Amino acid sequence: MPPFLANAARQLPLALVWAAALWPVLLWLVHARDPVAAVRLAQGAASAWSAAWPWALGSAIATAALYPPAPAFVRRALHRSRQTLLLDQQALLLRLADLRQFETAARHLEVGRMLRQARKHEQAIPHLGRAVELDETMAGGWHQLGLALFALHQWPAAARCCERAEALDPGHAFGDALLVFGRCLFMVKDDRALATLEEHARRHGGGPRSWLWLAEARARAGDSSGAVAALRQAAQKPTVALSPEDGWFRALARVRLWGKGGRA
Amino acid sequence: MSRQASPIDACPATIVVAIACGTLAVLTRMFGPPEEFEELLLQHGLLSPALVADGDWWRLLAAAFLHGGAVHLVFNLMMLWSLGPALEQSLGSLRFTALYVASAVFGNVAVCLLYDPRQAVLGASGAIFGLMGAAVALNMRSGRHALALLDFEGPRRLRGTIVANLVIGFLLPFVSNTAHVGGLLAGFAVTWLWLRPGRLPSPGLRRWRLAVGALALVLLGWSGYPVTRADWLAGAVGRTADPGRVRQLTEAFMAAVGDGPRDRPRPRGR
Repeated sequence: MPPFLANAARQLPLALVWAAALWPVLLWLVHARDPVAAVRLAQGAASAWSAAWPWALGSAIATAALYPPAPAFVRRALHRSRQTLLLDQQALLLRLADLRQFETAARHLEVGRMLRQARKHEQAIPHLGRAVELDETMAGGWHQLGLALFALHQWPAAARCCERAEALDPGHAFGDALLVFGRCLFMVKDDRALATLEEHARRHGGGPRSWLWLAEARARAGDSSGAVAALRQAAQKPTVALSPEDGWFRALARVRLWGKGGRA
Repeated sequence: MSRQASPIDACPATIVVAIACGTLAVLTRMFGPPEEFEELLLQHGLLSPALVADGDWWRLLAAAFLHGGAVHLVFNLMMLWSLGPALEQSLGSLRFTALYVASAVFGNVAVCLLYDPRQAVLGASGAIFGLMGAAVALNMRSGRHALALLDFEGPRRLRGTIVANLVIGFLLPFVSNTAHVGGLLAGFAVTWLWLRPGRLPSPGLRRWRLAVGALALVLLGWSGYPVTRADWLAGAVGRTADPGRVRQLTEAFMAAVGDGPRDRPRPRGR
């Protein structure tokens, strides 16, 4: 999803509350000038709403039934909400209290990791930054910091962090640092992206996410057949249950294959 | 030597609310002739959206202390007594009072927004649903994580109670579920955003407080000034001296009643 859409989706609930709060204000303002116009406006909005919501509901159901990424997107969104809601605040508070007693890189890393897993990336970054400041050789710290920056679409900074993690500990986190490094390079249109992702595929194999990213890098480099092959790998039927994140990438790969006339 | 705290020391606000409900039942002569009872209910704060739009804002709160019969009163007092003391001890009497008032008022605001202007409602259950919403919010804030409340028997029972009461409300035509849901949401929001805002700093809290606070104020204002509703426009015509404005308001009234008057609604208790 493009960053501006992701940001807009995050702000949508708050925007809806403000819209609900401003609607009566608008009606009062219109009423002050022309009471009939205010009545017509309210009636028009009510009839538009009555006409629109069955169509919206029907479209949503049809999309969910016919377009594979829709259920995968819902499953991933639910999983992410659950991760946020399941943040163990008691454990986090204990770790924050520990940090006040005695500051170590490992403790900052643990707090940052917990916050990042709960998708509180902005709050995780100061802790992860401090962790790698205290211990520059901590590959885990650089990797977690890279992931938090990656989630906030700060590609160059994320690339630097993941590159550092990979340099300190080759194959760190089963190749995840290398994979995210390759993806960041792809996002900033760096020529090294394809080679990095190919190296990841060679050394670590992959799942739907890494194959899809590799397919995109190959397609950009003009290797259409290679891209389709990678998409097939990403879209193939899994032998074990996929995580919601991997399910999302597999669904995306299936749709891309339709466009290329291929099948999983 | 310490002595055990009496209920009056432990939960004075809950007791005051219960006494107020009982006193109003006596003042409105609940067991007297029905015509007199209805007349006294109207005098003491029976709520209808039209009366609130006519300037009787106080009914938004007063209606939450009136009851339509002994069963209604006893059932609400039982629910109040089962939830109130624990919540009051947890939040403190002042905060509990603020929660109760907010839930009662916004349960009734929901009625004003969604009901026919002539529909009458009364009862404490909007506020009591607010206490249930507050209990859910407290459990979500106090546990290891927001969903930890599902791991324990007490919160699970509370969830069952809320669902059962809402289902009963949907099944019985004389029960106002709108006020129940309004009170539930108000109690949850007030507790979640203001009374127990979490143990960790949340960057979005201030934005949400501002937005929900603005929405609450505007909805409260709309209950008193629903400028597109026919009953309010009819009253405004009578209150306005300027002939030009009277003509505008009359045209607006005609536009608002374009579909013709609706059937007289049946009264509802809560």
